[in-house]
Amino acid sequence: MVHLERLAPPDSNLRPDIDLVSELGLDSVKVMDLMLDAEDEFNISVPLNVLADIRTPNQLAQAINKLLESR
Amino acid sequence: MTELYITKTSTRNPLPQRLADFTTLAEALDYAAQGVTGYNFHDGRGRLTAPLRYAELRQRALAAAYRLCRLGLKRGDKVAIIADTSPLFMEIFYGCQYAGFVPVPLPINMSLGNHASYVERLARLLRSCEARVAVAPAEMQSFLAEAGSELDLLFSGGNEAFLRLDANVHALEPSRPDELAYLQYTSGSTGFPRGVMIDQATVMANLRGIVTHGLGVRPGDRCVSWLPFYHDMGLVGFVLGPMASQLSVDYLGAREFAMRPMQWLTLLSRNRGTIAFAPPFGYDICARRLRSGDLERLDLSSWRVAGIGAEPVRTDVLERFAECFAPAGFDSRAFLPCYGLAECSLAVSFAPLRQGIAIERIDRAHLEHHAHARLASACGDMAVTSFVNCGHALPGHEIVIRDQQGNPLPERAVGRVTVRGPSVMSGYFQNPEKTHRVLRNGWLDTGDLGYLTPDGLFITGRHRDLIFVNGRNIWPEDLEHLAGHYHGVRHGDVVAFTAAADDEEAVVMLVQCRLSDAQRRHELINELTSRIRSDFGVACRVVLLPPPLAAAHVFRQAFAQRSVQTLPAGGPRVAGPGIASRVAGRDRCCILILWP
Repeated sequence: MVHLERLAPPDSNLRPDIDLVSELGLDSVKVMDLMLDAEDEFNISVPLNVLADIRTPNQLAQAINKLLESR
Repeated sequence: MTELYITKTSTRNPLPQRLADFTTLAEALDYAAQGVTGYNFHDGRGRLTAPLRYAELRQRALAAAYRLCRLGLKRGDKVAIIADTSPLFMEIFYGCQYAGFVPVPLPINMSLGNHASYVERLARLLRSCEARVAVAPAEMQSFLAEAGSELDLLFSGGNEAFLRLDANVHALEPSRPDELAYLQYTSGSTGFPRGVMIDQATVMANLRGIVTHGLGVRPGDRCVSWLPFYHDMGLVGFVLGPMASQLSVDYLGAREFAMRPMQWLTLLSRNRGTIAFAPPFGYDICARRLRSGDLERLDLSSWRVAGIGAEPVRTDVLERFAECFAPAGFDSRAFLPCYGLAECSLAVSFAPLRQGIAIERIDRAHLEHHAHARLASACGDMAVTSFVNCGHALPGHEIVIRDQQGNPLPERAVGRVTVRGPSVMSGYFQNPEKTHRVLRNGWLDTGDLGYLTPDGLFITGRHRDLIFVNGRNIWPEDLEHLAGHYHGVRHGDVVAFTAAADDEEAVVMLVQCRLSDAQRRHELINELTSRIRSDFGVACRVVLLPPPLAAAHVFRQAFAQRSVQTLPAGGPRVAGPGIASRVAGRDRCCILILWP
């Protein structure tokens, strides 16, 4: 969420189930920024195939958890 | 566990260099395999994960060829590969070369939450190319399984399943010079797949032109690339070209580049790379992401060819890049503008080496009224537009500028860029109608507009998209470029084009805007409207619509053809031509602002 605040428009109302692309308006460059933050913070590598099934911060968190567990 | 120590393939090669003078890709790999160079794959943090010498690649490609033969494929059958930047792609692509099959690179998804539309796109491509086999990297396997579920495939699966297939030796007959080398689906073909057919002799002709005339490849060169393998510049320029001239290549995945662009330059710096290409946005993102301390770690003095292709050259972006990286030894004379398209394998023309970006300043009013590129006078306050010199056609190729009826035009007249020569495709796969539209009597209509001077080719825009207002031609790129300068609007998020409104053509401009405040959006609309009116003399009206925006040129063409409805799910169906017509109404120009 901390990372999202930096990427999201200043007055947007962040929720765990907000749609990152259609509601928050993250473009492809910002999506890559977000992935970079996630990779660096958790020291993981987010495979490309995961992206297609992530729409919300909640789903992103779940995906990261899964990656951490499988490590 | 034993720690395996792996090293990158060397730049120097004891094997005498041959510059793509082979009749087929298989023959080229046979030769490259006698040396010590090869491909090197790196992860997102720049660590070498897999070196693949051409010698080893040849062995693995032969094994892949056996596997494909034993599946029961017939000569000329299509083998689809989701083109991840990985050794797997190389094995299968070259395996096809050794067995007379046709590889078809498929795109990788890099967007959030678009599972369904990606699967749909894959399925459309698999059907279009009549794939008999489809292979994906392990992590992409599930998409392929969904996409291919209703197709009659001899094999569909991931890396591991493919490697488990029977690989017993089988008689092989490599593709002949007059057989297909690969099918290349053009990037604009999301909605209407167009598979460019490239023969062995065709791609070899282009490779020869690229490595000799275009790049002046010599011993000691080393390539560095993050360009995806499903893109012509990535595939022909940085997979086939280096192999056909026995150079080593360092790869970074496209997604890894998008996340950490500095890794591209770090790799080049560390391995003393000499040749690397990118579209302007690649240079842009590097300049934007530059952090203090990066420059001290970089030495770009070995970079002798910094190619620019795939989209119109933006001089401001390149100037900023050169300025940012000059302290790290980057020489702006390394910039190499070039022109090409997948329908001509890859390259049509290159600017002279070591020239850098050479532009012409053209009188804009004269250009719009007379379709003639007259040099702007040095003084005066006339409106000026700049074009970049893309040099002369490759040897054996001709460029002719033509009018609407196909008649050749003199120097400096702006018209359709047509190309003839040995690198031109044989057609679009299973699509004689679309083929006939662009390919007549050996001349390829590139769809681009430009003019010729004794210095070579200048590209001015795309003719299918040209905006005609009151007998004047307005280049959509100009409108787009203008909008891109406004706060909250990014280059690339703007598209201007004509759409038929009633019986007239209306100018439409789509802007994906990042302003969330209604007041600010309102101001942007007003500013843009008045600026366009004053700069271009076109009246316009502004309307807000929700995103997302598809790849700009796809959308623009779809609009021109009034066929937006056929764009894939998740695409910009909201803004169908009906809406454009309604909002445009009697006005001659319309701006649609898309906002999150």
